[in-house]
Amino acid sequence: MADITFEGVTKIFADNIRAVDDLSLHVADGEFMVLVGPSGCGKTTALRMLAGLEDITSGSLSIGGTVVNNVLPKDRDVAMVFQNYALYPHMTVAQNMGFALKIRGYSKSEIAKKVSEAAAILHLSEYLERRPRALSGGQRQRVAMGRAIVRSPQAFLMDEPLSNLDAQLRVEMRLEIARIQRLLGVATVYVTHDQIEAMTMGDRVAVMRGGKLQQCDTPQDLYDHPHNEFVAGFMGSPPMNLLRARLDATNGPSIEFGTQRVAIPTSYSSSHTLPSGDGPGVIFGIRPEDVQVVEAGDHAGTLTTKVERREALGAEILVHLSLVNAAGTSTLVVDDDGAVVTRPTTMVAKMGPRSGVAVGDHLRVRFNPDRFHFFDAAGGDSLRKS
Amino acid sequence: MTKIATTLERSDSTSNSLGPVKKPKRVGRWILFAVMMVVAVIMLYPFWVMIVTSLKSEAQFLAGSGFSWLSWSRLTSVIPIGQEVLSSTIVCSASIFVIVLVGLPAGFAFSKLRFRMSTVIFLLIVSAMMVPLQAILMTEFVNITRLHLTGGYLGAILVYASLGTPFSVFLFTTYFRGVPDELVEAGIVDGLGYFGALWRLVVPIAVPAIATVTVLQFIQIWDDLLVGLFFIQNTSQRPITVGLAVLAAGRTTSIPELMAGSIISALPAMVVYLGFQRYLVKGLTMGIDR
Ligand SMILES: Nc1ncnc2c1ncn2[C@@H]1O[C@H](COP(=O)(O)OP(=O)(O)OP(=O)(O)O)[C@@H](O)[C@H]1O
Ligand SMILES: [Mg+2]
Repeated sequence: MADITFEGVTKIFADNIRAVDDLSLHVADGEFMVLVGPSGCGKTTALRMLAGLEDITSGSLSIGGTVVNNVLPKDRDVAMVFQNYALYPHMTVAQNMGFALKIRGYSKSEIAKKVSEAAAILHLSEYLERRPRALSGGQRQRVAMGRAIVRSPQAFLMDEPLSNLDAQLRVEMRLEIARIQRLLGVATVYVTHDQIEAMTMGDRVAVMRGGKLQQCDTPQDLYDHPHNEFVAGFMGSPPMNLLRARLDATNGPSIEFGTQRVAIPTSYSSSHTLPSGDGPGVIFGIRPEDVQVVEAGDHAGTLTTKVERREALGAEILVHLSLVNAAGTSTLVVDDDGAVVTRPTTMVAKMGPRSGVAVGDHLRVRFNPDRFHFFDAAGGDSLRKS
Repeated sequence: MTKIATTLERSDSTSNSLGPVKKPKRVGRWILFAVMMVVAVIMLYPFWVMIVTSLKSEAQFLAGSGFSWLSWSRLTSVIPIGQEVLSSTIVCSASIFVIVLVGLPAGFAFSKLRFRMSTVIFLLIVSAMMVPLQAILMTEFVNITRLHLTGGYLGAILVYASLGTPFSVFLFTTYFRGVPDELVEAGIVDGLGYFGALWRLVVPIAVPAIATVTVLQFIQIWDDLLVGLFFIQNTSQRPITVGLAVLAAGRTTSIPELMAGSIISALPAMVVYLGFQRYLVKGLTMGIDR
């Protein structure tokens, strides 16, 4: 068992494609680290460099304190679980699981013992003599896991191991993998683009974009204090609403959305470095669950919005709202490629399943005053003082 | 053939459960069956003639009726048929061994490793498939003569191997491209080197490709006359095709004896084909069941 350190690791492919750019990340011994980010952001490449399947262009990568840049994959003692499982088709489940041990010269009885232990953990004991093709997707996934755990390696590397499973099985295996990892206490790097996997499985989550590390924190910190507009707009489902607005100081600090305005509680002026001067621009962030619909009565500090769309998810309803009279504001959205793009002003609010809102209704909403986020209008970095 | 038969059966059984669709499917199957019967007759007729002719004496052949084992019993005294079959077998197996031994790792390298100029080298090798034997026969003959290898098996083996290798490189490369990279990578992370991965992971699932190369090359080399004629000059090491050619060119050629020899010469190719055809279909479709 060991820790893993990326220090300024960069990977440049042919045609000058920077797949991973100056990545520095420390995975403690026994830690479950999740790498998450949009497609093509370099997650797989980072993992493959760690496994030794890809050369490192520059920087240094160490496992257990030893720099492994030039160490062959077979000498790194890491185990990898592939997205398509990559089981050896001509071997039985037991042979698949015992193969790495056989290569390393373990005796038959030792291999059999370790394989049956791992099979018991993974509930595979009755399938040991089957070939992969005679297994279901979930069972194959377990075999792939089993192949990794029999080795008691320095680290587990997993590249979207659950993405080929159906939703229900994925929930089950998510818990299962987390349980096994905790049981064995082996440092794990887990690549996914599934929000829920990232939030539920990781001790810490590293968010990447365009080859660069954006933020690495515990899931809760990542959710509560995103370092920039990308992380805010990427994490969470639906993600944080990001509204481009102006600050106004005439009647105490407030945010201006066209003709409507919201007061900023005074505590933010000490916790954040808010821009000053004449109506400076800012990116205001608020999570959907912090957009509260005010049914009636007290209208102080509320905004008037119009329902554009409603999505009933059963347990809750997502309503897409547009701000009334909000000329000059717009919304930022992280698209599928991880680019932050500008859209017309809308925001998403979560409402109870019984709320009878209809498209076209006007709603008054209030933002939870404890949960405001501010990002730099130019660079997108959080304005929160660290 | 087996493949086609099973698919037919399967589609038939589904149509059974559907009921009304049953009739047209049945008719289509009978038409197909009739066409295949006709084709089979056309293909098998020469064999039939060969067998019938070989079972006559010279006189009976000329008379057009009668039956005797004479040409079969005389065959061994006319030509050293046992020795010739043995020579053909040696040349054939050694050549195929080289062809597979070179093609397999080359195909692995071209499909799974990244190295400089790999595409160019691959195309160069594969383009050699388009060069016919006749075009290079003379130059090869000069080469092999300079190496003093025109007497026994070795020269012919080298020529056959060099003619067959481009095809096998092509076939193995295409086959291995269908094998997911992750399979090899999983092995490498598990502790194998490239040769280990080739031998322990790739070769076991390459059986259809190996069978395809073996069958196609076997038929080609076994049936070839030209290379044997040119490069194996020791009469005691003649392959069967050369033996039969000599027999046919003799002053008093006995057609029944020639037919008997031809049957012996054709049998191994048929046996190999029938034995491996199960894999052959798979190998040619390049699919890998996962
Ligand atoms: N062998 C390669 N040669 C050239 N470019 C590559 C190679 N492998 C990956 N890339 C590029 O590097 C970038 C990062 O790829 P990578 O596979 O690491 O992304 P990813 O984060 O795993 O994406 P996904 O979520 O889609 O799996 C991409 O732009 C990709 O096109
Ligand atoms: Mg990937």
